[in-house]
Amino acid sequence: MESALGLSGYQATMMIIVFVVLGAGISALFLALFLPARWRLKYWMEIAFVGLLIGVVWYGDKRSAEVYGAYQEEMSNAGILDEPAIDGAEGFDRELKVIAFQWGFAFLTDENEISRNAAVVKPGERVLFRIFSNDVIHGFNIPAAGITAEFDPGKERDVWIRAPQEPGKYLIQCLNYCGIGHAQMKAWLVVEGAEA
Amino acid sequence: MASAHDAQRMGETPTWVPEDIIGNMTLKSLLFSNDYRHIAIKGILTSIVMLGLGGLMAILFRTELAVPDVQFFGARPYMQLMTLHGMFMVFGFIIPFVIALNYYMMPKVLGTGRLLWAGAAQWSYWLLIIAAVFLIIARPDFTWTFYPPMSLRVGGDLVYLGYLAVLLVAISEFLAGAVLMRNGWEAARRLSWSKLPLMGWGAISEGILLMGSTPILGLVGIYMFTDWMQITAMFDPARGGEVMTFMFMFWFYGHPAVYLPLMPAIAVLYTLLPRFLGRPIWSYWSAVIAFSMLTVLGFIVYPHHFQPAENVVGPLQRATQILTLAIFIPSTLHVFNWIATLWSDPIPKSARRAIPFKFIIAAIFFLMLGGVTAYVNAQIATDSDFVHNTYFVPAHFHAMFVGFMANMAMAGAYYLYPYFTGRMFNQALANTHFWFWQIGIFSKVTLMYYLGYVYFPRWVVDYLPLDQWAMPQMMLTGAAYLIGLGFIVFVINFMWSATRGRKADTDPWAVSDDAVSSGASAQPAE
Repeated sequence: MESALGLSGYQATMMIIVFVVLGAGISALFLALFLPARWRLKYWMEIAFVGLLIGVVWYGDKRSAEVYGAYQEEMSNAGILDEPAIDGAEGFDRELKVIAFQWGFAFLTDENEISRNAAVVKPGERVLFRIFSNDVIHGFNIPAAGITAEFDPGKERDVWIRAPQEPGKYLIQCLNYCGIGHAQMKAWLVVEGAEA
Repeated sequence: MASAHDAQRMGETPTWVPEDIIGNMTLKSLLFSNDYRHIAIKGILTSIVMLGLGGLMAILFRTELAVPDVQFFGARPYMQLMTLHGMFMVFGFIIPFVIALNYYMMPKVLGTGRLLWAGAAQWSYWLLIIAAVFLIIARPDFTWTFYPPMSLRVGGDLVYLGYLAVLLVAISEFLAGAVLMRNGWEAARRLSWSKLPLMGWGAISEGILLMGSTPILGLVGIYMFTDWMQITAMFDPARGGEVMTFMFMFWFYGHPAVYLPLMPAIAVLYTLLPRFLGRPIWSYWSAVIAFSMLTVLGFIVYPHHFQPAENVVGPLQRATQILTLAIFIPSTLHVFNWIATLWSDPIPKSARRAIPFKFIIAAIFFLMLGGVTAYVNAQIATDSDFVHNTYFVPAHFHAMFVGFMANMAMAGAYYLYPYFTGRMFNQALANTHFWFWQIGIFSKVTLMYYLGYVYFPRWVVDYLPLDQWAMPQMMLTGAAYLIGLGFIVFVINFMWSATRGRKADTDPWAVSDDAVSSGASAQPAE
């Protein structure tokens, strides 16, 4: 699954690091409890261990900033993060205005066609979503595209995705509690067959 | 690696004597006495009631979540249960519980002999009770983070009581912070800073966190109230307000708020672990540095709570990521210290038998399980993918709140039981409680991590019948029942043993390597 954030490799690395560090910590706890041999650790060992983890954390910060920076750069190159934002930004295959409301999403195409619950795209397209909320704080999450945003009423928020290659229906959901209809606040990313 | 001061730093040698405080007190002394033992017992008992109520709410909404579609509750009662569950557990159960443990232990460990400013602790308690009553009357459905403008437009006519409850919680916690600060400071003055027991460092850190953050929470409560009355428009964008003002103000309290139960729980751990092992903690100064760093970082990492919002960008976003990742330093110093203490010498048989010791070990385990995954939570790129507001976040804070802090609260409760009742609890029932909880909490946390990884959204009463969602939800409900069952065993044990348990020895937690201890054996020795 190709995501716009380019997470697959980076994310797998981070999860492996989590499992390794967690495994080391839990092993140390159980060894300290059940190993017959006793071991008086020296103070420098703690400093060395923290130093090692500083390296791990430095790597996580660096990779995260690179991945997220590359994602944001696509939008800043297109000029849509400027104030005032450029309309009809170049560099994306499709642009959809999204109106988030209590409780649902409406999608507005370039040709001013509106859909209450479906964003229709072609496989593999780079799609830019320009999201507005007119009432409360909402969230915008497409699991298949691996992206989440949270946005305040009255301000535009832009995210972009690479549409999945497989035609089909993919979930779009609100991830921020926005009132009792929150659980119903869903829409579909519809990827059409690849004839075009 | 012991130093000359270590004996002093462990606190006063136990002059603790088991006595039947609960049996000998009157209702009046329980409710209004400023004796630290009565204040602590009152706080602990109330917290256990709150834990029961909050847990019952969790059992109810977990039953609803077991299968897709809406079965028992509509969205509104579901969200009322969810909101009260969060508020009761955080403000009613875990923070007051660990603070009450500190109220009881400080006078003994710090050598002050009594709780200074006990009157403030009394007020703190009663304001919290009023807040809880307000919440039950108002039954808000806007979650414990009550983001405006949503929270200004839901909840019915009585919702303003919810905002006032927030204000009362802020005042109550401020007073509790002042009490902890006062007692820690007094001990530091008497004993000097380099000989202050770690419980004192914990109390001072906690005092700074509480007194620094709660005034802002109080302001949030007041502004929510006046916004709702349409006197002000601080947070309502429809009338010219700014949602981001709320975010920055609320989370300036909201992040320290999650350290409020953490600090006293760590302080209890540093106090009890050396007592069970019969040796001082591995490194005193490493613990002091960790307490200080955690206090400072607690105040400045809060924008990570709303990171995928458009206002957290550029240098602020990067700084938040780096500072959040830096929390690993104090956390690692703490955990490394505990494991090094355990490893340095043989663990006495008496400790291995002791129920509080088992809860401490489980707490260390869950602190790692909840803490290490924060590596992923803190990174902007993963946070903008599957972390933010999926079950990954509740998984992280349930590992911390339930796995670490509630386990530490239980360690404290079992440890103090003989000092409160003069009797021992039933060992077999306590073991049952322990294993029900650890299996339940581990399953729960792991399943929540998994559900977050597959984008299960928070705060939903209903969900799509996807394979990767439905099955883990069903198992998660099972785990919740197991934890609930453990709690029932715990309550039965404590009530039954209070009058029928074996009489406690002079030192119920004596360190010994005998095959059968005099203190915490499974065989009744009567």
